[in-house]
Amino acid sequence: MAHAISTRSLTKKFGRREVLHGVDFSVEAGSVFGMIGPNGAGKTTTMRCLLDIIRPTSGEIRVLGKDPRLGGPELRRRIGYLPGELFLEGRVTGRKLLAHYEAISGPVAPGRIDALADRLGLDLDRHTRKLSKGNKQKLGLVQAFMHDPELLVLDEPTSGLDPLVQQEFHAMVREARQQGQTIFLSSHVLSEVQQTADTVAILRDGRIIAVESVSGLREGAVRHLRFSANGITAHDAGALLGAVPGVGHVEVLESNGTVTLSATLEGAIQPLVKALGTLQLRDLVLEEPDLEESVLQMYSGPGDASSGEANSRDSSHKNSIHRQAAK
Amino acid sequence: MSTTLPLFRRAFFDTWRSTLAWAAGLAGATLLYLPLYPSIGGSAQMQDMIDALPPEMTKALNYDQIATGPGYTQATLFGLIGFLLMTIASVGWGAAAVGGDEESGQLELTLAHGVTRVQVVVERAMALLVRVLLLAALVFVLVRLLNESARLGIRPENLFGAAVLFAGLALLTGAAALCAGAVSGRRTYGLAAGAAVGVLGYVFNAVGRQSPDLEWLLRLSPYHWAYGNAPVANGADWAAAGWLWGISAGLVAVAAFAVSRRDVGT
Repeated sequence: MAHAISTRSLTKKFGRREVLHGVDFSVEAGSVFGMIGPNGAGKTTTMRCLLDIIRPTSGEIRVLGKDPRLGGPELRRRIGYLPGELFLEGRVTGRKLLAHYEAISGPVAPGRIDALADRLGLDLDRHTRKLSKGNKQKLGLVQAFMHDPELLVLDEPTSGLDPLVQQEFHAMVREARQQGQTIFLSSHVLSEVQQTADTVAILRDGRIIAVESVSGLREGAVRHLRFSANGITAHDAGALLGAVPGVGHVEVLESNGTVTLSATLEGAIQPLVKALGTLQLRDLVLEEPDLEESVLQMYSGPGDASSGEANSRDSSHKNSIHRQAAK
Repeated sequence: MSTTLPLFRRAFFDTWRSTLAWAAGLAGATLLYLPLYPSIGGSAQMQDMIDALPPEMTKALNYDQIATGPGYTQATLFGLIGFLLMTIASVGWGAAAVGGDEESGQLELTLAHGVTRVQVVVERAMALLVRVLLLAALVFVLVRLLNESARLGIRPENLFGAAVLFAGLALLTGAAALCAGAVSGRRTYGLAAGAAVGVLGYVFNAVGRQSPDLEWLLRLSPYHWAYGNAPVANGADWAAAGWLWGISAGLVAVAAFAVSRRDVGT
C-alpha cells in the first residue's frame, strides 16, 4: 500500500457554508505528514472526515485502503486519533479512562500505557477533570499512541505541552515513523511540524495551496547571518559578502575598528564559509533556516490574489498573513 | 483487547455515585412515607380531610383512594414522590447519554475508536435501562419489607406489576430524553423532551380526570396509561406496560438511526 491516506476533491458543507472546497492530498505510508494552516482553514474538518466523525459532502477518501464511511470499527482500531479539542470530564482516573479506551481500540501491549505515561511525565492516578490542559493533552497522546496503530491522526498534538514534553513528543513521532507507522498531524505554525514532518501541506480557506517536502523547504529557505570582524573596512567587508551567491539584505555597521554585518542567505553555505575564511572573525551566527518565512511566501504565492505581491518578505506582509490567520 | 459491552460498562459504572444517590433518595422517600400510613392514610380523620378537599384537587393528586393501603402507596409513592425522583433521574441520564456526551466534546473521541454509532446508543440505553430497573427493584423490595409493619396490605403480584409500570414510565421519559439529545446533539433538548413527557403526562392525567369532556387527554398521558387503573390496588394493565416499554425501545431505535446518519460534534 503506497498511500496511508488519500483524498480526492473532498468538499464539506455545513448548511450553506462550504468549509472544504475540494481538498486533494495523499500521505505516503510510513511518512510523517504535516498539515498547517491558520485557524479555520479546515484542518480539523479534514481530520474528522478521515475518522468518519463527519461525512464529506462530496469527494473520495481512502484511509489505509478503505473508505472511512464503510471501514467501520475494524478500520478505526488501526488508527490512533487525538482530537483538536480534548474534553475529559469524567470523575475517573487517567488509568481507568485509558482502560476504557483500550477496550474499544486495537490491542495494547502490556506495560505500554505506563511506559508512555512515564515518558510524558503523566500521573495516571489523578482524576481526569483535575488535570491541567497540558496533562489532559498527554492523556490524549497516550490514548492515541498506546495501541501502536498503523496510522496516527493528531490534531494540534503539541498544544498545551511545555517545550520539554514537546521534544519528547517529537521523539515519539520519529520512533513511530521508524516502526513504519504513518503520522498525519496538524498545526497552525510550521515550526511545530518542521522538526518531524517529511512533507508539509498548507491548507488555507478550505484548499490545499501547496505541498512541499520539508527538505525542499529547507533548501529554498532563508537563513539569517550575522558576524563581526577586525582589520577590514566596512566597505570591503560589504563588497566581500555581497559577492557570495545567495546573499541579500546586507547591512554593515562599523565601530571602534570592528565591523558588524548582517545579511540573509539563500541556498548553499559552502561559498559563504570560503569567503568568511579570509576574515579575522570575532563572532559568527548563522541561524537555522526559517521555514516559516518560506511558507509565508507560499501563503501569498501565485493563485492567491488577495495577499499582495508574491516575493515580498517584509514585515508588513507577514503582518497581513497573521491578520488573516487571526480571523 | 475486547471486553464485552465496554460502552455499557463505562456508562453504568462511571455513574455509580449518581445511581447510589438516587437510590438513597428513593429509599428515603419510601421509608418516610409508607410507615406513616397507619397514622395518616388509614385514619378516619384523614378520610374526613380528604372528603373536605375539592374533588378536583383530590382527583388531580390521585388521593381519591388514599384511605386504603394500596391506594395510599399508589398515590404518594408511585404516583408522586417516586415518580418525580425516578423521572428526574432517568431524564438526566437519558439526556447525558448521547446529547450531553456530544455537547461536552467527548463523543467524538469515543466514535474515533473501534465502535459503531448504533452500538454507542444501544449500550448507553442499556445502561439507562439497568439503572432504572435497579431503582424500581429497590422500591419493590422496600415496599415488600414495609408491607407488614405499615399495614399496607398490598398483594405481591400487584406490587410487582406496579413496579414494572413504574420502571416503564421512567424509562419512557429517559428514552425520550436520550432520543431528543441524540437527534439534536444537545443535552438541553434532551432534558426538555424528557421533562415534557413526564410533566405533560402528569398534567394531562390530572386535567383529563376532571371531566368527561377532557377524557381524551388521558389517552395522551403515559402517566395515565401506567397508573389509570391504580395498579398497586388492582394489578397491572400489561398492555400499558407493553406500550411504555415498546415506545421506549422505539425511541432508542430512532436515536440510533439519527446518530448514525449525521455529523457529530459540529
